[in-house]
Amino acid sequence: MATTESVEAASSASPDGPEEIKGRSLSQIAWGRLKRDKTFIGSCIVLLIVLLVAIFAPFITGLIGVDPYSLDASAISSSGGKPNGPWGGASLDHPLGVEWGTGRDILARLLYGLRISLLIATTATILVVILGTLFGVISGYVRGFTDAAIGRFMDLILAFPFLLIVLALSGAMTQRLTDLGVPEGNASRITYLILVLGIFGWPYLARIVRGEVLSLREREFVESAIAMGASAPRIIFREILPNLWAPILVYATLLLPTYIAVEAALSFLGVGILPPEPSFGAMLSESVQFFQLVPSYLFIPGTVLVIVVVAFNLAGDSVRDALDPKAVK
Amino acid sequence: MVKSKATLAIGIAAGALILAACGGDTSGGESSSAPASSSQGGEATSSPEASPSEAPAPSGEGQAGGTLTILSPAEQILTLDPQVIYTGEDLGFLGATIMRSLTAYQVAPGDAEGTTLVPDMATDTGTASNGGKTWQFTLRDGMKWEDGSPVTCEDVAYGTSRQFDVGLTEGGPVYAVTYLDIPVDKDGNSEYKGPTDGTGQELFDKAVTCDGNTITFNLNQPVPDFNYAVTLGFSAVPAGMATGPEYADKPMSNGPYKIAEYAKGKGGKLVLVRNENWSPESDPYRKAYPDSWVVNFGIEESVADQRVIQSSGEDEFAMVQGLTTASLPIVFEDPTYETRRIDAYDPYTIYAAVNAEKVPDQKCRQAIGVALDREALRLNAGGDFAGDFADGAVKPNIGIDYAPTGLWDGLLGQPVPATGDPEFAKKLLSEGKDCPTEITLDYAQSEDSDKAAAIWVESLARAGITVKPNPIERGQYYGVVFKDANEVMLGGWGADWPNASTVIPPLFVQGWNLSRVDDKAFNEKVKAASVELDRNTQATLWHELSKEAAAQMWIVPTRFGKDQRLAGTKVGPIFSWAAYGSWPYPIMYAAQ
Amino acid sequence: MAGYVVRRVLIMILLLLLLTMAVFFLFSLLPADVARLTCGKICTEQTLALNRARLGLDKSVFEQYWIFLTGLFFGRTFGEGPAAVVCDAPCLGYSFTRNEPVLDLIVDRLPPTIFLAMGAFVLFIIGGVGVGVYSALRRGRWQDKGVMGASLIGYSLPSFFIGLVAIYFIIIRWKLLPFPSYEPPWEDPVGFVQTMILPWVVLAILYAAFYTRLTRSQMLETLNEDYIRTARAKGLPERVVVRKHALRAGLTPIVTAAGLDLAGLLGGAIILETIFSLPGLGSLAVSAVLDPDLSILVGVTLVTATFIIVANLIVDLLYAVIDPRVRLS
Repeated sequence: MATTESVEAASSASPDGPEEIKGRSLSQIAWGRLKRDKTFIGSCIVLLIVLLVAIFAPFITGLIGVDPYSLDASAISSSGGKPNGPWGGASLDHPLGVEWGTGRDILARLLYGLRISLLIATTATILVVILGTLFGVISGYVRGFTDAAIGRFMDLILAFPFLLIVLALSGAMTQRLTDLGVPEGNASRITYLILVLGIFGWPYLARIVRGEVLSLREREFVESAIAMGASAPRIIFREILPNLWAPILVYATLLLPTYIAVEAALSFLGVGILPPEPSFGAMLSESVQFFQLVPSYLFIPGTVLVIVVVAFNLAGDSVRDALDPKAVK
Repeated sequence: MVKSKATLAIGIAAGALILAACGGDTSGGESSSAPASSSQGGEATSSPEASPSEAPAPSGEGQAGGTLTILSPAEQILTLDPQVIYTGEDLGFLGATIMRSLTAYQVAPGDAEGTTLVPDMATDTGTASNGGKTWQFTLRDGMKWEDGSPVTCEDVAYGTSRQFDVGLTEGGPVYAVTYLDIPVDKDGNSEYKGPTDGTGQELFDKAVTCDGNTITFNLNQPVPDFNYAVTLGFSAVPAGMATGPEYADKPMSNGPYKIAEYAKGKGGKLVLVRNENWSPESDPYRKAYPDSWVVNFGIEESVADQRVIQSSGEDEFAMVQGLTTASLPIVFEDPTYETRRIDAYDPYTIYAAVNAEKVPDQKCRQAIGVALDREALRLNAGGDFAGDFADGAVKPNIGIDYAPTGLWDGLLGQPVPATGDPEFAKKLLSEGKDCPTEITLDYAQSEDSDKAAAIWVESLARAGITVKPNPIERGQYYGVVFKDANEVMLGGWGADWPNASTVIPPLFVQGWNLSRVDDKAFNEKVKAASVELDRNTQATLWHELSKEAAAQMWIVPTRFGKDQRLAGTKVGPIFSWAAYGSWPYPIMYAAQ
Repeated sequence: MAGYVVRRVLIMILLLLLLTMAVFFLFSLLPADVARLTCGKICTEQTLALNRARLGLDKSVFEQYWIFLTGLFFGRTFGEGPAAVVCDAPCLGYSFTRNEPVLDLIVDRLPPTIFLAMGAFVLFIIGGVGVGVYSALRRGRWQDKGVMGASLIGYSLPSFFIGLVAIYFIIIRWKLLPFPSYEPPWEDPVGFVQTMILPWVVLAILYAAFYTRLTRSQMLETLNEDYIRTARAKGLPERVVVRKHALRAGLTPIVTAAGLDLAGLLGGAIILETIFSLPGLGSLAVSAVLDPDLSILVGVTLVTATFIIVANLIVDLLYAVIDPRVRLS
């Protein structure tokens, strides 16, 4: 799994998965199946909405007349900073209430935070899928010395306690990135998170892919292809890769939401996004302090998180079922 | 002293001056501590009446035995080295348990009572002669270290000499270095380099002499309140003992407790058990009621609050040293907690230091202060629970050294509202020379301070100044900002004792000069004020300097802080000890 | 088989050697000032200089590595003269902020971590695999959907979030358990269980969600295989088909993931140890990041990574036993 402790075990969605295999017959069949799958259509609509909302967050908040940074002293109590009114001071001005102590708008912060979380999680996941598939296939297919070398390298990376490494290297690495020309502040922090999640995340997927490839190589259809003298790229792309999409996609659908959680965990441990930029993770971790008094701090980001995660997974499941050549429909 | 919890204060409002005869009681451990009272005048919600209800805590009779527990979000106690301890909470707690000093503050509710000097290791509060340039203290008989050896005059002198070992005791109080009559070289460094190095030992031995049980300090200037200074960094260390950095973890105790276990970090704890070699006869100051003290480290703040709020099982004997803003409404809107909560002015002024090296122009510094939304900062820190707007470094509860500076009421040319005045700030910026338009804000990271940083960003943006927040891990904060400072650093400072000599010189001349102020004329005036022997004249001089510092805007004073805390149902007595803004550790007990 | 085992053990030793190198260079080349990072909060120029001398930072990196490596086997002495500190073999380093050999610190912190990991491991493997098989066998029915829905929720929330929510409801709100306060089981068995039960369950929920999904998808995959159909056609009872054939073949990725997860957990469940105030390796590491104390970080990283590498070997050997299709040579 993957709690934040063992993120490595998780998996993630590669949004580009279905597209990449477009044009091949299997994917056409799959697409046909998916179009009839109500769960898939439903979850895709949800994801699309979430994505659009995240991308156009500034526009939407502008329309409502809120923003994630402005302070609003009139919305909070003068003794203690508690929001006025129930549900975190929800009102026409602030549809989802305001933040304790500052009166900043929760809706706006949620949208902006979602944006950053999705950016980090998606990019890191894509990185993991690319690296993991590449090395997994090479390792499993070529075998021999290359496999051993890649295997040991992966073992080495996998051997590092993930969260510990992310924490321990954050200061030094962020500084390094700044030296390399990445703008200081959140730009280098976000880059650091994406890189470290990707670099320490891929071997897990690669191991799974390699295991699958090893198994596949023993299978009759691959062996017969080899016997017939098919070229290596042809075997990889025609015979092996189509059979890998399922495990990769399942893994990817699990990984992306986990990375959202990891980002939250890092905020919790103090290595997250810098203020005043809102972060999904910081909102969640902060809610715990207050949710006895303002439960909506918990429910709002919690609900959004669950919706996003569930949608990713349902979509991923559907894709897997659709891609499964043997699926009985 | 340093905010993190620190030192001393004297009364602002004489709300309920409940007299408590405490401290000098020799009848063997009866503390007639007064009924619970939020010590300094009930401003905000609190101010419970004395309620001898069923709650045992405030009933006043100390009871021996049991264990008291402190739930701490920190990873460790910063240091246990008697020459380095400088935060108020630690001075209060460690002073009550393992570290004795020549004099100490009476443990009683009330600002005046809680800051009254009483003898501790000494038989009285010291004798001045030679116009205040020589001070003598006579030690009590029968004091022992935890290994059974006697505590001698030489031990006190040795401990004092460790203040000169700058490498070892950096970050600790420096009053021995400042006041002892030891020559300095042309760079202003003492010719004495501390006991390990040994250079200049004869100079120290001339300045501090032992005659049997009597220790004499020869000073380089008249210091009428030197007997207050000896509460800081003059504590004994066994003479000649080789002490390196590890002494900060394993100090020798001469108090009623000794260290049984000290594991730092999350899940770690400090366990103090009785020191059999301590005798109550040699120490009438400490009541030493509980059999042991435990400090649990790394407890999530909101969890710690909840444990004490519920106060069930072992947590009946637990306490926290502060409350999160989220816990304040729970604790202060419910009368159930009346007998075990505290809401009091602490000794600290909360401020933002403006680095004078990076922002040399006065107008530019003023612009920063003028643009700042102090009202939002105060709200974020808890509103009325956070304290009042500050108008300078010197806090009213210091006593006669405070006078309003008028900083926000026209001192800068026109009044500045608490929410800031962006237009005025822009005007100041245009008048200033080379004002930076982009500044970096250093602060000790926490959820609340992240929001404070956001307020800085927002409010200064209105005047066209871009603020880049730079969060620094709490435990490393002061270490980092003393090394590499950016334009603005958040901080807090409280007087070491009721004299602005422990505020203005450290903040603007030397000691805790985060602002990197180096103003020759100002230094001269500070020197003059420091040696002024007439207390009223001195106070007037401090008033002027405080005003000048305010106008210079070396610091942007944001709040005169307040402090809230809570203890379990079987902890007593409950009041804020004005000397340190802390729990009254020396007389605390676990009700059975 | 014996030759294979010997070969794998040799590779493991090589890997451990590589690991010491990777850890050492990662932690000595990345940070700007190693002396500062071993110096703790109250860091004076004198301590800095002392640590520089003690760690031999004036020597070349390779020389330092050699000293570090020999220290592991033969012990070493930090500094010279009266300030010298002797660190017996195996010397993982010496913490100058706590004045203790790193090994002693780690040994002190191991028991809570081991208890946490083992307890949670048993729970999540039994729960996860059991529920996964059950779900697969009822594919598409409401039980399957319910289980999949629950497992979605299981990993959709970050561990610190579930942990704190659990504390809030179970301990604060409903008062079902006392606040966590770790005592070793031999001193206070009841208190031990009361403290551990919540972190066990939280960790188990988080991980079980992953194993449920993995097991289910593996089962579905293998249940579609030809040999399963053959087995069924032969008239074997469904119980035997599932246990002897389907589960066994689908076990490979589960064992892989489980072995690595367990090893990762033995390195400390950073977030849950922090939240439940358990004095384990994870909380030691977080403290060392905050301190900062690089020596502890190096030690903890080495020990955890060693666990994982050893687990890897065991997993690989099991792999061969479970799935004879994977050729050993």
